[in-house]
Amino acid sequence: MSGEAIGIQGVTKSFGDFVAVDDVNLSIAQGEFFSLLGPSGCGKTTTLRMLAGFEVPTEGRILLEGEPVEKVPPHERNVNMVFQSYALFEHLDVEGNIAFGLKRKKVPKAEITTRVAEALELVDLSSRAKARPNELSGGQRQRVALARALVNRPRVLLLDEPLGALDLKLRRQMQIELKAIQREVGITFVYVTHDQEEALSMSDRIAVMSEGRVAQCGPPEEVYEHPKEEFVAGFIGISNLLEGKVESGGRVRIGDDCLAVPDLGEGHADGETVQIAVRPEKVAVDEFEGEPYRIEPDMFTVEGEIESKVYLGVGNQLTLKLVNGSRLVALEQATYRMRADEQWEVGQRVKIGWHPEHCMVLS
Amino acid sequence: MTHKRFWEWFIFPGGIWIALLFAIPLFLVLALSFGHVDDFGRGVYGFSLDNYKDVFDATYVPVLLRSVGYALATVVLCLLIGYPVAYFIARYGGRYRYALLAALVIPFFVNYLVRTYAWVALLADQGLVNNLLVDWGLTESPIQMINTPYAVIGGLVYGYIIFMILPLYGSIERMDPSVIEAGKDLYGSPLQTFIHVTLPATQAGILAGCVLVFLPAVGDFVSAQLLGGPDTYMVGNLIQDQFFAASNWPFGSALTVVMMIFLAVWMVFYLRRASKGEAEVL
Repeated sequence: MSGEAIGIQGVTKSFGDFVAVDDVNLSIAQGEFFSLLGPSGCGKTTTLRMLAGFEVPTEGRILLEGEPVEKVPPHERNVNMVFQSYALFEHLDVEGNIAFGLKRKKVPKAEITTRVAEALELVDLSSRAKARPNELSGGQRQRVALARALVNRPRVLLLDEPLGALDLKLRRQMQIELKAIQREVGITFVYVTHDQEEALSMSDRIAVMSEGRVAQCGPPEEVYEHPKEEFVAGFIGISNLLEGKVESGGRVRIGDDCLAVPDLGEGHADGETVQIAVRPEKVAVDEFEGEPYRIEPDMFTVEGEIESKVYLGVGNQLTLKLVNGSRLVALEQATYRMRADEQWEVGQRVKIGWHPEHCMVLS
Repeated sequence: MTHKRFWEWFIFPGGIWIALLFAIPLFLVLALSFGHVDDFGRGVYGFSLDNYKDVFDATYVPVLLRSVGYALATVVLCLLIGYPVAYFIARYGGRYRYALLAALVIPFFVNYLVRTYAWVALLADQGLVNNLLVDWGLTESPIQMINTPYAVIGGLVYGYIIFMILPLYGSIERMDPSVIEAGKDLYGSPLQTFIHVTLPATQAGILAGCVLVFLPAVGDFVSAQLLGGPDTYMVGNLIQDQFFAASNWPFGSALTVVMMIFLAVWMVFYLRRASKGEAEVL
């Protein structure tokens, strides 16, 4: 990675009274796989469309390799897009679709032929070169859309929920393939998705968006492990939120129990109310009496009972009710030592614990 | 199975209707076209091809060619005028879409003959347009507008343009707007994108509109009768004259059969395209 591929500087886009994108600042590096993640209506697609040139920012600047491009029309921008609906040209065959951009750019015929063949090879569709889009499966159409964009060797490839229309299995497979293709061609990818798992597994960095602004931007691990606000913690994965009061010495009181939070951070006044988030997979549950099986000695523990249990095959999802009335979700992985269907009954009294360092304090 | 049998009976009312009122008269026309006129001017059935020879006689061939020419001109004009209208309503009509379409359709509730008469009032030598032109001093004497091919073609365009706009609207409205964006994203200028993306994507509507305008326009007689003169005589006028003025039903029948075969060829061509999914069937 070297240099900045895209700079988004103070970009705002409003449609009438509605502010779709609100003062967004992002810098995307060359060769990066960058995801814009958020629920529908968060402004991620509008941001992508401004990068493509389909929307002009109301305010702010967009730099493509240092050049301001916010007023450049889409056909003069060296970026290409993979559309959510694929937007294939139904009247052209696969080759015709892929060659479309090169023809408009007046690339010599011989070069078009070789580049189209290479692109077909890249997406593993050489055998369907003469097929019409309506003769292809969803996954194949998706590959044509990808090849049609990549063949132009754009500086940046924009992808608008490209896997949204595929079924789950194909999606997983295409995620791996897309990532491999991105590594192979080395082009900067800007990827819009509302699927947090997709974003976590593919991206170098993720910008989580909410209501037009960037809530948090960072590598997947950072966004998942250290969410800065409640929205991010809740949108990426499930989070258990517990309300607590700050006490002296970096401790937070939750009900009758006191929890020492290692990275409480600066600037929390005594008596301040904070949200503590714990990931379900970090929560350990043991029978109330008997030898601790999962709970470890240095864990913070509370009492509770099992309110409901969902069998997931690979484990159990338990909803736990604490003595103080608040609820926690625990995700329990079945292991070689236990089966997921063996334990737990609704109403059973249990001990609940987690390592203090797995507490995330949200502002 | 029995359920299906039951529903099959419902074909009969419509089937009988078509047999009585469509197939039998058609057969009579076909039979009469091989007949001749007796001394009292009545049509008599026979087995002669004389009427068909007359159709392709030097007197009538120009009329046939003129009809096709006028109809083609009508199709081209309807397409040029109708495409932007349909495009605008489909893409930018928003919530006024259906109101705009209704505004286009409502004039067609008025009888075609009456609407064409209105053009006579407008275009006549002493009509509204000429009076205004003279009053404003733009011309000294009225311009010959009526009784010209332009007036006849204009009348045809006015009469049938809705059959162009509606299928065009349908296909433009159904088009995925992101396909146009894809054209621009792939370095197509707005004009290139229109030619290489939008037009091919809406070709089904274009073909349907052309056929739906061409078929009635080529057989029309109202526009030529009211807005034209002897030089703009179309095959529709010729057929009408054989049945009413000249009272030569057998010759009129032969003309009708020739026209029908000609139009059927077009229809087959259109339906074959439609069955391949390339054209729109209304």
